[in-house]
Amino acid sequence: MKANWGQQPNFQPEKAPLREEPRNSVAVPSFAPWSLPSLEGRLVEISGDVAGAPLTLVFRLVLEAQRRGEPAAWVGRRDSIFYPPDVAEAGIDLAAFPVVWTPDAIRAAEAADLLLRSGAFGLVVVDFGAASRLPMHAPNRLAALAQKHTAVVACLTEKDAERPSLGALVSVRAHAAREERLDDRFRCALRFVKDKRRAPGARHVEIFRGPDGLH
Amino acid sequence: MDRTACIDLPAFPLQLLLRREPEWRQHPAAVVAEDRPQGKILWVNEKARVGGVLPGMRYAAAQALFPALRAGVVPPSEIDAAVAEGCERLRQFTPFVEPAEGEPGVFWLDARGLIPLWGSLDAWAAQVHTDAVRAGFVASLVVGFSRFGAYAIARSRRGILVLNDARAERDGARAVRLDRLALPPTARDSLAKLGVRTVGEFVDLPLEGVGTRFGAEVHRMHRFASGSLAVPLQPDRPAEPEQVRVILDHPEFQAGSIEAIVAEKLDPMLTAIGKKGRALGELQLVLRFERLGDHVESLKPAAPTLDPKLVMELVRLRLQAVRTLPDGVMEVILVARETDPTPRQERLFAVRGRRDLAAASRALARVRAKLGDDAVVRAVPKDAHLPEAKVAWEPVTDLVEANPRPVDEPHLVRRFHPNPVPLPPRERHEPDGWMLRGLEQGPVMRVLGPYVVSGDWWSNPVHRDYHFAETKKGELLWVYFDREARRWFLQGRVE
Repeated sequence: MKANWGQQPNFQPEKAPLREEPRNSVAVPSFAPWSLPSLEGRLVEISGDVAGAPLTLVFRLVLEAQRRGEPAAWVGRRDSIFYPPDVAEAGIDLAAFPVVWTPDAIRAAEAADLLLRSGAFGLVVVDFGAASRLPMHAPNRLAALAQKHTAVVACLTEKDAERPSLGALVSVRAHAAREERLDDRFRCALRFVKDKRRAPGARHVEIFRGPDGLH
Repeated sequence: MDRTACIDLPAFPLQLLLRREPEWRQHPAAVVAEDRPQGKILWVNEKARVGGVLPGMRYAAAQALFPALRAGVVPPSEIDAAVAEGCERLRQFTPFVEPAEGEPGVFWLDARGLIPLWGSLDAWAAQVHTDAVRAGFVASLVVGFSRFGAYAIARSRRGILVLNDARAERDGARAVRLDRLALPPTARDSLAKLGVRTVGEFVDLPLEGVGTRFGAEVHRMHRFASGSLAVPLQPDRPAEPEQVRVILDHPEFQAGSIEAIVAEKLDPMLTAIGKKGRALGELQLVLRFERLGDHVESLKPAAPTLDPKLVMELVRLRLQAVRTLPDGVMEVILVARETDPTPRQERLFAVRGRRDLAAASRALARVRAKLGDDAVVRAVPKDAHLPEAKVAWEPVTDLVEANPRPVDEPHLVRRFHPNPVPLPPRERHEPDGWMLRGLEQGPVMRVLGPYVVSGDWWSNPVHRDYHFAETKKGELLWVYFDREARRWFLQGRVE
């Protein structure tokens, strides 16, 4: 018999076997750790290593932001970007999702600063990639602006869960990983390494369908 | 002798749509009045017409008739902007250009006195026509003697025609079918029932009777065709842009000083533009260096503005990158591109969203000023086969409200390298497996594929075998083998 595959986020205190994944039908509760309301006003870092899924999980936040009428923007490098057809497939309105090309991490932080300062964006995703070295003032400024304008600054970094976060003012540090697969479905989990408003160690699990050809 | 030319870009809104969506040229396409099923079809191309889609049908009906139909809206603002752009282009060939009122895509050109410059009117006409084709339009151009004669013949044929005899023009115009002219459809049909099908037959009707029976518009066309309404060319005169030139006493190396000069000169410029009832659409800052020549910076606010503080913020952001200029500036020139102020819809009720989209657009303009005009874009999905051709990046000026699509199931998102990364060649003998990403990631454990993408065999052949390769560490790579280059490339990875 084929397994039931849930489609909505599932919050689990600990890892459960993939085949016992319950079918979920409820919307994301506002108290869920990986939801826009619980991340508002905070600097968030989503890290992932080679077998991670930070890009996929951050686009769940983008979708939620667009559904709530909160403008979202992407800041990152031109030579390594999300694949737009996948993002459109995930439901995101690309016409309302501006992308800012920046040559390096410093410029990316400056661009995010300008966007946040306007108070018009509810979510700004900054893709730092492997170059996660930033001057100390950059994350501090981003954190202050996120708090002032009740926005979410989501920084994507490529690193192991054990490596330190971008700065002391990072309010939430989550590590994203692809854990298990069956056919073309993948279970991706976020482990909250650091959360200044909760105890660390919480997990957020979702099931995703892979792109065509990956089964 | 008076020489007048007329250039006609037939079905102008449809041509604009096809210029915006070039891949639709191979498909049936139509311009609709509104983007909804009950939207009325205004223009169709030949492929749609063959399939039975005609102007006047509703989009839903046309779609049911011909499911492959592509349709889009061309708003009046886009048509007006394209007409203004057309006038600007045509002014390269003659100083006097008149766009036809109520008939976008028709332009009259003054062709007098051009032979000393171009050698012959044929050479001039060929240049004008080539430029229109290069701009992506199908066009017909007739050089004649009267406005109506050139217009009527241009409406009835394609290509270039230079007439050397006024009589030939008159005879040619008389033979043109009436349905080629912009007559009201009811009048055109009534005239056809009376057996009046050509311009010659129309002109032979008594003027008073035409006015009484068919109304003022047809009466005017009759006078125009018969020559009793000889209207001189009324060229569109472009407004001269506000411009300020400051010659410096000594070479200036500090960007801060340049900023101060701009701040001083900007205020009176904006006041002058405001007095004309217009607004600043773009500011060009030209720095004339002592040895390096001219350098032009272009700054566009998010919306036309007269606010000096906002414009100075963009200037400051653009100049912030440099403190000391690479050479001494001898002259500073400011050129203001004016535009009509954007009409703003006032809200009926004082209900505001949490975020201000106008403020978001202003923030994007600041980012553009800091990082360059091509730094702020949005992705536009395209109908293509190659992954890099499936998306186009177009500049963003205004942020629009998001309209996310409901999805049944969340999807994984791939990271994508628009310029694929070459991978090391695969070894013939691999005792430890295929080390696609080096020793650290371990060997490839599983390969899915190939999914073959090929095309462009007539120009630049492409043949790629796409695979998903999973390494021992769990990395899911999206790779392809290029049969032409005979090597592997990394297109992206599942992330």
